[in-house]
Amino acid sequence: MGTETKIVVETKNLTKIYRDFWGRQKVRALKALDLEIRQGEVFGLLGPNGSGKTTTIKLLLGLLFPTSGEVNILGRPASDVGKNEKIGYLPEESYLYRFLNAEETLDFYGRLFNMPGAVRRQRVAQLISMVGLESAKKRQLREYSKGMTRRIGLAQALINDPDLILLDEPTSGLDPIGTRNMKDLILELKAQGKTVLMSSHLLADVQDVCDRIGILYQGELKELGRVEDLLKIGEETEFRVKGLSADAKAKIEKIVQEDKSELVFSGNPTTSLEDLFLNIIAESEARPGKRVRGGGTNI
Amino acid sequence: MIIEKPVPAFWDWIGPASLNWLIAVGGLLAVFAVVGFLFLLVRTGPAQVFPIFFRNIAKGFKDLCDLSWKRVFAIAGLIIRESLRKKVIVVCVVFLVLLMFASWFLDPQSTDPARLYMSFVISTTMYLVLLLALFLSALSLPADFKNKTIYTIVTKPVRASEIVLGRIVGLTAIGTGILLIMACMSYLFVSASLSHTHVVIDGEDIVAVSGEGTDATVVAKGETRLANWHKHEIEEYADGTFTVKEVNNHTHPITKVVEGDTVRYVVGPERGTVQAKVPIYGKMKFRDANEFEKTRGINVGEEWEYRSYIAGATPEAVIWTFDHVTPNQFPEGLPVEMTISVFRTHKGNIEQTIMGSLLIRNPKTGLTAETNIFNSEKYVTNALFIPRTIDKGKVDSQPRQLKQLGEETSFDLSQTRLEEKETYDLFDDFVVDGKVEIWLQCLDNGQYFGAAEPDLYVRAKDANVFGNFLKGYLGIWQQMVVLLSFGVLFSTFLSGPVAMVTTFGILIAAFCKQLFLQVAYMQALGGGPVEAFNRLIRHENLMTELPKDFTTSLIKFFDMIASGFLSVIGLAVPSFSDYNIYMDSVAAGYNIPWNTICVHGVTTFAYVIPLFIVGYLILRNREVAK
Repeated sequence: MGTETKIVVETKNLTKIYRDFWGRQKVRALKALDLEIRQGEVFGLLGPNGSGKTTTIKLLLGLLFPTSGEVNILGRPASDVGKNEKIGYLPEESYLYRFLNAEETLDFYGRLFNMPGAVRRQRVAQLISMVGLESAKKRQLREYSKGMTRRIGLAQALINDPDLILLDEPTSGLDPIGTRNMKDLILELKAQGKTVLMSSHLLADVQDVCDRIGILYQGELKELGRVEDLLKIGEETEFRVKGLSADAKAKIEKIVQEDKSELVFSGNPTTSLEDLFLNIIAESEARPGKRVRGGGTNI
Repeated sequence: MIIEKPVPAFWDWIGPASLNWLIAVGGLLAVFAVVGFLFLLVRTGPAQVFPIFFRNIAKGFKDLCDLSWKRVFAIAGLIIRESLRKKVIVVCVVFLVLLMFASWFLDPQSTDPARLYMSFVISTTMYLVLLLALFLSALSLPADFKNKTIYTIVTKPVRASEIVLGRIVGLTAIGTGILLIMACMSYLFVSASLSHTHVVIDGEDIVAVSGEGTDATVVAKGETRLANWHKHEIEEYADGTFTVKEVNNHTHPITKVVEGDTVRYVVGPERGTVQAKVPIYGKMKFRDANEFEKTRGINVGEEWEYRSYIAGATPEAVIWTFDHVTPNQFPEGLPVEMTISVFRTHKGNIEQTIMGSLLIRNPKTGLTAETNIFNSEKYVTNALFIPRTIDKGKVDSQPRQLKQLGEETSFDLSQTRLEEKETYDLFDDFVVDGKVEIWLQCLDNGQYFGAAEPDLYVRAKDANVFGNFLKGYLGIWQQMVVLLSFGVLFSTFLSGPVAMVTTFGILIAAFCKQLFLQVAYMQALGGGPVEAFNRLIRHENLMTELPKDFTTSLIKFFDMIASGFLSVIGLAVPSFSDYNIYMDSVAAGYNIPWNTICVHGVTTFAYVIPLFIVGYLILRNREVAK
């Protein structure tokens, strides 16, 4: 990601402390988060439950007020309602009006953007088709399955053709096909030049679609970087060989180059994101406090 | 109709009322600003507080200015849809059921059925609609917070002001729809309940009486058969016309149909049951026994000081001065209606009513004519007519005096010579620049007449009954809008049940504002709330003096604090008893003047605006996801 691209999301020393009625500190949900997300990238916020992912998204959207620090979204502070013109948000559960049907839901949210009637109708039809709910568009959402609710939730997040899309656990509650579709859609949004910030604890999902990730644990950013960089194991070399003979197998480490087989790949092996994630969590539990980040490039 | 608290003239009222409103709203916003400033001071420290504070104020103004009506209506539309899909219309079904069983608890033998039925439908509608407004307004926004649907609203370019106003507009729309449905149901119910006719059979119910002569001779007499628990006496005149005695405030037209040897009497539908009289009120003053002008008459010892009295067979009089009386409006003369109190100092002939006279006087020349002599019973409405042409026999030869204190000589009209005529014209001789005086005098010695300003009025052409009925419902609408604005305000920072209870508290305080203020000002018997509670648990009489000890001092101290708090609340809540005039007017068959509607309409919005602003400020500064 080139440094010349525009910064879409920027947080500086962002901290959130939840307090009780008497002002006593209950929990420090986010600790001094510094983050920059650039235009066109898909950024994943990873972390176990209670790590501060959702709090971060809520702070970015202005649903919560920071205890300290700054948030800038599309060049505006989070408290500025105007920023929402170009933002789409899919909450972790689809908090929609269950007495409306799909068409009415999208029409209502379209009205909140002051979209002209004709544009709104066109956009509603397009989004309902995109999320595959044409046959259920007249049914009230109370009759929808969780997957269907999730899809209409996604459609409402895209009603305004946003530049920045915040997806909180986008694949939760979706079946494998729904998950695949959601990931394809995220990649399609990226192809359209949109910026996507998603939070998830489903590591495979993040690995599949994110350009960069940040790993949060107990409110602290433990790791930040490009996915392929973070997963690279520098001190090891991996050979991927096709049609290797039985004799050659014995001598493979010494004479791969002398063998008549085809060398398919040579490079650094990678671990899975799952292994990386579990290692970081284990390490953080063993050594609380700020972790020295490694393996990734902080853009 | 009793009007203890007359509605002021709109243009006289609007100036001072606006000033008071600006001071109150300014004070309220100043309190908010101070609280906000202190909060920021604690949160950000003294170095940053000023720029952040002023930036917030600027943003607040900008938010209000940038308010998008399209978004407001989108949210209002959502609220309407939500209410309809949650079957809020059920309240109309409840109302219908109440109407169906109304006859069980409405007295069928009432002598004023229109008042009874009107009061019933309007009060039932009012309570149902106010309760509905309370529930919907207090629960709507907290439900959005609970279901977290608010997340998907505030992450769109929607301002807190649009959320609050959208809710007020949406709830008002749904309430208006329900109110209109109820109004139509009520009108149909009242019309159907009061509608009736009677049967009159020739030879059985009406029989010929001997008499020949002029057209005005009665040739047949009788009474109708029973219908709706009453009968009407009828008289047939030689000229073929009928008089039907008024019972239960109505009468019926009768026609006689002769078919060969058969005579049938056809009784038409009732007339005058439901009316919309348009009273033109005058300014009232009194004349004492020495012919001096006074603002009050005699106090006969009644605790209720609404009416003031004049003594019979003395120069004392109650005087009403009417403005803008024109021949175009009253070409035939002045129809006057009067409902006065009669106070007897001796029993006299108890069967006999007290005599009085009505005079008309030129306020400039003092020319006076005694146009009507009448018998009056306590609180019975007398309909009198002052004709356009007045015979000279009824006109005083000397002008009647009305002296003012310290100005006896300058107003002495006793030497004034009046032009003598055979007949006098009401407008040419008694009305000056649209102004005329009507005097009421009691003629029986030792008896008294009591009157208040609204007790006598000139009756103009009646207004449309259904239109007036709808105006009555406008009063309920105004109360509903105020109440739901309170509900929406509380719902911006309280949970649903707490917001509901708080709004209910406002509703009770609004209905009992006077009592509430009496308690707040510690004018009620039994002291303030703490003292009253103390008396309650100790079973002490309200009048018992408390011992002068430390406990009493402590009670008084807490009452003083509570008094300040209650006074603020008492002054802030609207007075729903002021809106009773709508129901009273419709039930009593009086037109509701537009002046009343304008004053109360402006008052309604005077509440809605600050409630909306405060609601917006609270919601804007609330962490939605907390």
